[in-house]
Amino acid sequence: MEAVLFYLFGALLLGGAIAAMTSRSAVAAAVWLIFAFVNAAGIYALLSAPVLAILQILIYAGAIMVLFLFVVMMLQGPTLKSELKSIGDRKWWLPVGAILVALLNWMRGVNLEGFINDAPAGFGEIKGVAELLLNKYMITFEMISLVLLVAIIGAVALASNKKGMPW
Amino acid sequence: MVIGLNHYLILAAALFLTGAAGVLARRNTLIMLMGVEVMLCSVNIVFAAYSRALGDMSGHVFVIMNFAIAAAEAAIGLAILVAIYRIKRSVNADELNSLKE
Repeated sequence: MEAVLFYLFGALLLGGAIAAMTSRSAVAAAVWLIFAFVNAAGIYALLSAPVLAILQILIYAGAIMVLFLFVVMMLQGPTLKSELKSIGDRKWWLPVGAILVALLNWMRGVNLEGFINDAPAGFGEIKGVAELLLNKYMITFEMISLVLLVAIIGAVALASNKKGMPW
Repeated sequence: MVIGLNHYLILAAALFLTGAAGVLARRNTLIMLMGVEVMLCSVNIVFAAYSRALGDMSGHVFVIMNFAIAAAEAAIGLAILVAIYRIKRSVNADELNSLKE
């Protein structure tokens, strides 16, 4: 059962991501990416991390992709024509192909066994995550708020000036 | 067949390669930013898989931190794109070459 769900979610996640990266219009790419991220939430659920699954849907598939769709709506409807011609003669596939070959080579010798131990009781529940977040990793938690504050200020400063850059 | 750590690592590696190929191959900067999001998501899966394999929930905290980083990255990246579009009237990466000349 777990294997079936893993391969289902994994295939849909990868397929959605590939469809997003190869689709011609940015709107279609964004919608494919929402589909892929919902399936990533399924992967988190299989890893006994329900909090992460919910946050994945709320933040990634919800907030971030809606932001993307808003900017796509503002900036650009049609496809870039120059892009479709120029994809073929680029050298982008050299590093990707090298990493892919290395990955396939590594996969030959890898052992595909299950997890050694079962998840401990209460693993992945929101109580444990909250206790870690507010005790052991409190500084990290505060840093997240600082990063978000700086991001808000930066985004407003960059995007609000009608003449272009703020300087 | 049992699903283990290596299955998740291979899935995450394939996802990372998809995102990296998107960033390298596409000229539409909006889709390049989406490729960066895909790469961040694959890293999250590695964090969650190791967290499950080691039975230690610290990885979940870092996935949550990564969510915040991804949101901040999307906000700043898209704001830069809006600013660039106001100047250049384009989101094509090939036309953003004013530093080259």
